[in-house]
Amino acid sequence: MKFPSPSSAEAVVAISNLSRHFGAKAALEDVSVFVPRGSVLGLVGENGAGKTTLIKHLLGSLKAQTGNVRVFGLDPVLDPVGVLGRVGYLSERRDLPGWMRVSEFIRYSQAFYPGWNEAYAAQLLEQFQLDPTQKIKTLSQGQQAKAGLLTSLAYRPELLILDEPSSGLDPVVRRDILEAIIRTVADEGRTVLFSSHLLDEVERVADYVVMLQRGRVVLNGRTEEVRRDHISAVLVFAEPPAKAPVLAGAHAISGHGSEWRVLFSGSRLELETAATQIGARVVEELTPTLDEILVARAARKGN
Amino acid sequence: MRRIRILEWRNPTGAMLWEIWARRKVNFAFHTAALLASLFCIPRLQHGPPEWLRGVLILVLISFFLGAYLDLLTCFGYIEADARNVKLGYPARLLLKPVSTLRLILVPMFFGGAAVISVLLIWSHWIMQPLVHGGILSPCWLGAVMLSVFWWMQALAWAMPLMPGRSLIMLIVALIHLLVCCLPLMPVSRLSGWQWPMLAVLLISAVMTAWIGLGLMRQGNWDGPSRIARFWSRRHPAMTRKARRKFGSAFGAQFWLEWRRQGLLLPGIVVGILSAIIPIVFVVQKQVGEPVEGANLIKIIFSLSLSLPIVLSGIMGSQIARFDQLQPSNELPVYIAVRPMTNGGLVIAKLAMALASSILTWLVMLASACFWIIVLESHTLISLVSTISPFGIVACVIGGVPPLLLLILYTWKNLLSGIGAGLTGRRWVIILFTYWKGAVMIAMIALLMAAKFNGDFMTALLHWLPGLLILTLAAKIAVAVALFVLGMRRNVITPGCIGLIIGGWLLCGLFVAGYACLVCHALHKSDWLFPVTLGGFLLLPLPDLAIAPLALAWNRHR
Repeated sequence: MKFPSPSSAEAVVAISNLSRHFGAKAALEDVSVFVPRGSVLGLVGENGAGKTTLIKHLLGSLKAQTGNVRVFGLDPVLDPVGVLGRVGYLSERRDLPGWMRVSEFIRYSQAFYPGWNEAYAAQLLEQFQLDPTQKIKTLSQGQQAKAGLLTSLAYRPELLILDEPSSGLDPVVRRDILEAIIRTVADEGRTVLFSSHLLDEVERVADYVVMLQRGRVVLNGRTEEVRRDHISAVLVFAEPPAKAPVLAGAHAISGHGSEWRVLFSGSRLELETAATQIGARVVEELTPTLDEILVARAARKGN
Repeated sequence: MRRIRILEWRNPTGAMLWEIWARRKVNFAFHTAALLASLFCIPRLQHGPPEWLRGVLILVLISFFLGAYLDLLTCFGYIEADARNVKLGYPARLLLKPVSTLRLILVPMFFGGAAVISVLLIWSHWIMQPLVHGGILSPCWLGAVMLSVFWWMQALAWAMPLMPGRSLIMLIVALIHLLVCCLPLMPVSRLSGWQWPMLAVLLISAVMTAWIGLGLMRQGNWDGPSRIARFWSRRHPAMTRKARRKFGSAFGAQFWLEWRRQGLLLPGIVVGILSAIIPIVFVVQKQVGEPVEGANLIKIIFSLSLSLPIVLSGIMGSQIARFDQLQPSNELPVYIAVRPMTNGGLVIAKLAMALASSILTWLVMLASACFWIIVLESHTLISLVSTISPFGIVACVIGGVPPLLLLILYTWKNLLSGIGAGLTGRRWVIILFTYWKGAVMIAMIALLMAAKFNGDFMTALLHWLPGLLILTLAAKIAVAVALFVLGMRRNVITPGCIGLIIGGWLLCGLFVAGYACLVCHALHKSDWLFPVTLGGFLLLPLPDLAIAPLALAWNRHR
């Protein structure tokens, strides 16, 4: 199921065996992720799964305790200028200088990037309907996200890293603008890595998905393959089991009486064999959504 | 069981007091320790210790008092910074609680006021009075005025967090309090009967301002841009919408950001204090008609005013390293951390801002001094200036430039004194560095005092001084070189930045040393030439500048 690990020359982001501890708490454990050039990678997981910690390693804000982090083949801690000059970043907390006006923030950001495209910035300003004279502190959370997005897109970075970009944005902007931007960036041959709680959004936009759980990668691969490798099925028992049945390869099983719904990881044949072994038969099969897969895996880990 | 007992007193008042206590436990422990240590020192001071030890102890006790008292004001102030909305104000989380506005303001005002007065009275009765044997103002009056200042600062911070002219209003209020505080000293007898009623009016109006302002804020009347800001943008749409030129470089942008955040802080405070002092001098001058005592007072105030930038820059030194003063943590803000700029580049922008701020401060001082001399027609100061007039105006102006440059340099050096510790973004490093700096300063003063009162020690010290200075300078240079090499290896500083720092250090060091030699020569103190030359180079903080990019890298790449 894991997508092929490209060589470091092909991968824009190459993380291998990365671990990070904050005191006794393990934030990341032996994480390996490779992001091919021109792809869109969705980083998903529950709160505290380690998504933001992973992103901070890519920006050099956190130093790898063990393992390696390379962005464009460079170490972001040793060569922050080389890496950050080619990366656009929107932070989850929207840490923007509230005392600046929108126009001042644009002017300030522009100075750091020689490739800043003024026409594109003006187009985004209009598209996002931002008032350049307004102070950032008076903007709503969604407008702050737009201002942050504008300054991370206007120089057309080779790698766009978005940490929870949807938070605070209304559904129209999310679907029509954010997703369009992400797809445009990818179509231009640039790379996007974004984290999100909204799995339907990841499903629509991302080519690859990496699922983190308590600092570990539990799933990574092409979005379509991840979905295809899971089966959501309804099992029917001849005799209703007294307690919840245990099915080898199942991530979650719920129901009552003789009808039980199961999320299974494996092929159709393997599911049928496992079901027969516990005295049930498969009556319905569906391709699960990413949301269902995440919830099932989270519930399994929690148990 | 214990948990339930704690919950029993958690009514709104108890919860608010518990919050003050729980967040500042360490500070209260420090206050108690400082008080106990001071109480322990007082009997020793009264039993005739050596003069130098007495001087050091008095200095330590006054530092303890000032440190503890200022910290106490922040502990009970109940004012929180909100970096996102760029404002200082009442803790927003409490505004939505089902508690009356009157209670919300009275709890921190009443208990804070009680703590502020009690601590002031305890310190003045047990510690300061035995030290200074009676001050010029009664502790009760001073305590009451401090209470009013404390309440007004709370009221203004809580009641009008988004008002654009809040700093100006605070300055006016501080000025009024300064004048009220000096009422017992004023030679106008008619005012003496009115001093307590005036203070009562100030106290009541502080409570009313806080009550009404917080009430309006709870109703949402302060949300959004203020009426003044809206009125201004309607009147001057062209001004607010005018497109500005883009920055020429990343350094220019970063310097602009630093300047906007901190550049005007030191000049602003100096202007504020000077604008409070000048009217007082004017009143004193008019009242006493410049007899000998009045002239002496003006000379003292003038000298103290001149030392303002040096003292203030020393105090502000640890704060200048921060990138955003309102941010609760010392971490580098994300919007700066993700910019493609080296740590050395960020540090250089900060150094440039500190230098520009020092220059502006001294230009302000120069302008104030001229204003003081010319507009107030102070004959005392004019006669002071006239002592150098025989050398001619041009000579005076040319001769005045090097001391001015020296003062700018010293202020700049003071501003950067804690930059290495501050840039680490670690609170414990900053606290440790502050204590270390305090200890070194006290040790230096003790050394100087011991030398002053002990002739043999002075002779020995003078004998070893050149050697000690050479050793210290060599150690400083060695440490700086090691740090630069480390910085280069870790790629946190470029050779250009190193060249800029070393070049600047050499240039400034040569200037200070050269000027000091000139002064020694003029004073016929040729035996001081060598130590003074070395001292010129020692004055400048080369290791602090060398460690700054590494400290920032430690903060930026955690």
